Amino acid sequence: MPAVDASGGGLRIVVCAKQVLDPDGVNSFAFWGRLKVGGDGRSFDTGGMVPRIINAYDEQAVEAALRIRDAGVACRITVVTVGDEAAGAILKRCVAMGADDAVQIVDDAAGLGDGFRTARLLAGLIAELGDVDLVLCGRQGSDYDQGTVPAVLAERLGAALVTMSAGVAVEGDDEGRALRVVRVTPRGEEVVRAALPAVVSISNEIGTPRYPSSRRMMQARRQRPERREASDYESAPGAVGVEVTRLIVPDVQGHCRIIEGGSAAEKAERLMRRLDDRGLLGG
Amino acid sequence: MAEHVLVLVTAVEPGGPLRDADGEALGAAQSLARERGCEVACALIGGGVAPAATEAAERGAGLILTAGAPGLAAFDGGRCVTIAAEAVGRAGARVVLIPRGPDVLELAPRLAARLDGASVVGATEVRAAGDDVVAVAAVFGGAARAEYAFRAPGPRVIGLAPAVAEVPERRPGRAAPTVALAIPEADGRVTTIEAAPDVSGPRLEDAKLVVAGGRGLQDGENFALIRELAQALGGMPGASRAIVDDGWASFEQQVGLTGKIVTPDVYFAVGISGASQHMAGCANARCIVAVNTDPEAPIFTFADYGIVDDALDVLPALVRLARERGA
Ligand SMILES: Cc1cc2nc3c(=O)[nH]c(=O)nc-3n(C[C@H](O)[C@H](O)[C@H](O)COP(=O)(O)OP(=O)(O)OC[C@H]3O[C@@H](n4cnc5c(N)ncnc54)[C@H](O)[C@@H]3O)c2cc1C
Ligand SMILES: Nc1ncnc2c1ncn2[C@@H]1O[C@H](COP(=O)(O)O)[C@@H](O)[C@H]1O
Repeated sequence: MPAVDASGGGLRIVVCAKQVLDPDGVNSFAFWGRLKVGGDGRSFDTGGMVPRIINAYDEQAVEAALRIRDAGVACRITVVTVGDEAAGAILKRCVAMGADDAVQIVDDAAGLGDGFRTARLLAGLIAELGDVDLVLCGRQGSDYDQGTVPAVLAERLGAALVTMSAGVAVEGDDEGRALRVVRVTPRGEEVVRAALPAVVSISNEIGTPRYPSSRRMMQARRQRPERREASDYESAPGAVGVEVTRLIVPDVQGHCRIIEGGSAAEKAERLMRRLDDRGLLGG
Repeated sequence: MAEHVLVLVTAVEPGGPLRDADGEALGAAQSLARERGCEVACALIGGGVAPAATEAAERGAGLILTAGAPGLAAFDGGRCVTIAAEAVGRAGARVVLIPRGPDVLELAPRLAARLDGASVVGATEVRAAGDDVVAVAAVFGGAARAEYAFRAPGPRVIGLAPAVAEVPERRPGRAAPTVALAIPEADGRVTTIEAAPDVSGPRLEDAKLVVAGGRGLQDGENFALIRELAQALGGMPGASRAIVDDGWASFEQQVGLTGKIVTPDVYFAVGISGASQHMAGCANARCIVAVNTDPEAPIFTFADYGIVDDALDVLPALVRLARERGA
């Protein structure tokens, strides 16, 4: 077992993870025209039929942390989340994957879509944990698709920021450590070196996260995440940055013309003729 | 300083023009400025910004702020945020608009955090609401939209989605006062050690025709058919994230919310189900063609033409026809 280094010599990693409505479930609800806005006007009412799961990028952020440990770097990995009571459920999976411990900040304002508030709470907690070298986040929540939290965290913690990472490695030793981070850009991959402390956001290119063994799942089920209240870190009760005031579900009306034909080749031919007639194929 | 609505442009190529996205941001800023009874300012950060600065003034900006230095052609978050923060102060900006581009995800929230403001990215609409503004952006990849109000004391920093406004017309000879911004030293906390490949070939974002494949291709090898059809039609191949994750196509070919946003005349979606996160990248195509075995696949709600059949039968036929046509 790789050691949790309690002497302070190891790398202190915090992974931020968020609970979201399963985006595939939301997609299929939307497709079947069943996506409804709840009575508050700003959350979905799915009748409990769409599960709440860990944001997939955050599971990959846990994976990124574990790969650092696998590479032989002694580290302590703490997973943290901000959300309502139920949101703590995702932490068990992270611990089962291999994180050492978990903390939940219970915040009832988490449904307002205010990443600035979330980042303030997380920054408060991270400062309290002390000597955190590396904060790993997902590139964005698959709910609001904003990617606010990692950037705001870096500013508040005065840490370096690297977004869109497909791999994180730790170089050097206790005397002087730095990160080597592979980033995905629209032109392809680039590699950057980042000083510690740093906030790094993880993109899906990092690959499939490991699956926790059933033994670890059993163990994790017994472990209780530590619990904090939002008021421990932030006196304002509501939104401090932005606030979702309304959700709007678009009414998508299809207008597709299905090209019929006796064979695939015949359909292909009819399609090409249509596109050509409309001058859409150039030349 | 009287208030301006600030448009913030980064990573201007040395001596390069404004991009379409920059022009659209100027257009969006102009309508907001009218409602707020103020003018538009444009900050340009990049390798060499003089031509872009002239163009911004000719497209209606009443104040130009520049930071041109060779090291700024590529986005450097730490420096850009510091420069941008000065620009906000100089322009007395309460509202900052950032054109779409890869840097906005870092720039918008960092700038907002630095100035005790707040940000929204991917805004498809920005409108005045009393003294303030409201931004609308897609959620869950476009399954729905959210309206955001701002609650922070500082500036409202808004990253824009494609096509939020028209590019304002250019009036040659129109000039505006120009202020040079201080350029801080790089802080050295993040340094590039291997740059991204310098691709100078055609860009997927600019392609007039895109043939994209998804899991319905059954096997990675069949992506060759996508490439063949794209080539035969003079277009470019694209991919869903599912098959990029599977290694059948490369990340640069991914279309969607977290890939490229394309706007071709024709977009072929072959074996792609039509998830909102995929459609976020191609919904602005003039014509969408779907090939899918499942007549109930969501892609048919978005498509203009559909073929319900096996991609592996349709693609070879299309390739043959396209080649005959080209010959
Ligand atoms: C935050 C977030 C960001 C995302 N970003 C993106 C993104 O940028 N781009 C993106 O594409 N996705 C993105 N996704 C993933 C997206 O939600 C979908 O999972 C993905 O687009 C599905 O890819 P697909 O259509 O290839 O596969 P599937 O959904 O598995 O669809 C395969 C389709 O092929 C059809 N098919 C099967 N066999 C055949 C055959 N023989 N011939 C023809 N058709 C056949 C099936 O009927 C089905 O419709 C994102 C998801 C999240 C949560
Ligand atoms: N409520 C939260 N609790 C913990 N981490 C979060 C929370 N919200 C966002 N994050 C982190 O910030 C990343 C970007 O999320 P967002 O800013 O919501 O798009 C996520 O992938 C998480 O790593």
